[in-house]
Amino acid sequence: MHPLKHYWVAEALERDLGDPLNPDSMMSFKQVVDLDEKEEFPHDIVNWLYNWNLHHHYIPAECGGEFTNFEEFVAFVRVLSRRDLTAGIAFTTMFWSFLVWMAGTDEQKRRLASFMKDQHGAMCLSYSEKAHGSDLLGGDVTATQVPGGYLLNGEKWPINRATISGVTFVLARTDDAGGARSLSLFMVEKSKLDEKTYTHLPKILTHGIRGSDMSGIRFEDAFVAEDARLGAEGAGLELALKGFQITRALCAAFSQGAADTALRTTLKFAMKRKLYGKTVFDMPQPRRVLTDAFLDVLIGDCATIGAARGFSVAPEQFSVWSAVVKYFVTVKLEAMVTDVSAVLGARFYMREEFEFGIFQKTLRDVAIISMFDGSTVVNLHALLLQMRQLAKYRARNKERNPEVLNARLETSFGLDKPLPPFDGRKLELVSRGADDVLQGLPLALTQLASLKADKSLTPEVLHQVTTFTEMIQAELDSLDAHVTASSFEYGHDQSPESFEMAKQYCTLHTAAACVHMWLYNRHHLGDFFAKGEWLALSLRRLMLTFRREKDLPPRLDDAAIAQELIRLYSEDRMFSIVPFQLAPAQPETASEPSQTLQLQAK
Amino acid sequence: MTQATATTEIFAIEAIQTWMVNQIATQLSIPAANIKVSEPLTRYGLDSIDSVTIVGDLEDWLGEDLPSTLLWDYPTIAKAASYLVEEIGVSPAAEAA
Repeated sequence: MHPLKHYWVAEALERDLGDPLNPDSMMSFKQVVDLDEKEEFPHDIVNWLYNWNLHHHYIPAECGGEFTNFEEFVAFVRVLSRRDLTAGIAFTTMFWSFLVWMAGTDEQKRRLASFMKDQHGAMCLSYSEKAHGSDLLGGDVTATQVPGGYLLNGEKWPINRATISGVTFVLARTDDAGGARSLSLFMVEKSKLDEKTYTHLPKILTHGIRGSDMSGIRFEDAFVAEDARLGAEGAGLELALKGFQITRALCAAFSQGAADTALRTTLKFAMKRKLYGKTVFDMPQPRRVLTDAFLDVLIGDCATIGAARGFSVAPEQFSVWSAVVKYFVTVKLEAMVTDVSAVLGARFYMREEFEFGIFQKTLRDVAIISMFDGSTVVNLHALLLQMRQLAKYRARNKERNPEVLNARLETSFGLDKPLPPFDGRKLELVSRGADDVLQGLPLALTQLASLKADKSLTPEVLHQVTTFTEMIQAELDSLDAHVTASSFEYGHDQSPESFEMAKQYCTLHTAAACVHMWLYNRHHLGDFFAKGEWLALSLRRLMLTFRREKDLPPRLDDAAIAQELIRLYSEDRMFSIVPFQLAPAQPETASEPSQTLQLQAK
Repeated sequence: MTQATATTEIFAIEAIQTWMVNQIATQLSIPAANIKVSEPLTRYGLDSIDSVTIVGDLEDWLGEDLPSTLLWDYPTIAKAASYLVEEIGVSPAAEAA
């Protein structure tokens, strides 16, 4: 069993699902590609996951479930997503239950937990409307007060699992005067609605996740009782925005699972495919693409796992952390999947050839993740509005309370450290300028300076990591100065330059997360992690956003990265800073050349 | 309430209103005279999230943590200032000194 217990559920799920290349496994590539071709909802898979009791891990212990923390959650969502984003996402719409765990009454929590556990129920999120997209306050769906409850009217579209779900969380206008308090949130249990008062809208045909129940729902004088409302009347927007802080960060786990399959499939091809007397992997250019892709996965890991743990440590900062992770990880990994497709050559486009055609499906599926729960633009907008405050806070709090900050960072990033329970009530609409990750850069530099005497480290690696960390700090200072000097932009007229600054912020936050992850875990995540070449190369990759190649320290030899990539592949381990055990791959059939010899040759 | 307390509160409310008018006028690059304390801030093009960030500036000035939804619940400068003084007991004169 993995020494870190947050990975036990993921490992057990892997073991029981089995090798995805074996057509007999549940969630095999063959099964999920077939379902995708037929555009069929993965009922069998979802039922299997319920029977496995995975849904218990979406319900907090105090509500009768087994949810521990989001680090564990991210790990098992990666397991689902590396096999099939359609089913992974369909099952994980259950993370909307956190709206109730966060804001519901004891009775509402009891009802929802029973619905999930006893009826194997699922839920969907009815926020968006055809005419209004991300403009939640502009919505036309209304909830009009009547004796004992409300009448819902209007249409929500496009909604994932709108039809195949028993509960839908509906954001509806309860105050015609408009404004930030005009919306309320309702937990609508379809079983309690008069069937004549609601209609499901037809399935929407999509480019990827084609088996998904992407549809909509229309209400016509649908009566919901008073006790369907979550929180106070008028609290809808506030709850919606806080709920997004949870789900946006978790969306990164979808992308990471998909990225694993894209990389694993392509690597397998590159190691087997022989051209001009050598394997594709032995050629420097494709090899570089694959090692860089592996670095992208590790970079994403540091941000995603750091945030998954940070939820339990600094929930009040998640208006920032979550926006960063949602933007950066999903967008970068989507690009990474496209990058590796070049190595796969024409096969990336084929729907049956090579590994049951899983690559083209992954490529199509992963493209939607950056759009979920707030698009890239929405996330950057949420962040850029806070950048003045973030810059001001950093200027004011430099070097203040370093012990407290260090303790928080150590808990967020030290994977062997116990986590306090997550309390959704501590989420805040804005972080009041606080962002531990970037605020902790001076602390990281102090720690790096103290490592000079550490004989286990190569001086060049430490030197590069230190140099890059100083660069992150310098770029942050420059960004802060720029933000402070720029004029206040409001409404939805922010300049494209502000969006670029928000992107830079995301890159810097992620780079700092990589440094913290290394510093707080050097002694227990294995030799590859401890030596830090991956970190120096990752930071260099991130700093290329800011500096010219020739102004950076030279690129370290990446042989260790390629070697680790192959080790994880051959041992069936997740490509990750926590390379937990995957289901063992079946031995190759006689018709395919053995990879063993080639692995030994590396 | 004594007359002295009432007078202190009136001064406090006025001080907060003046600060908010000037702050928003500067940020929006419009003359302070154009901002009416009785108008909802959305009238000046500020949306719900902008008003949350303005609360951050107000917190910095007053040196106190405020509910980030202050301007959602009290959407005009006049209502927000009265709430801060009468319900929370904020005293800007001391803070701003």
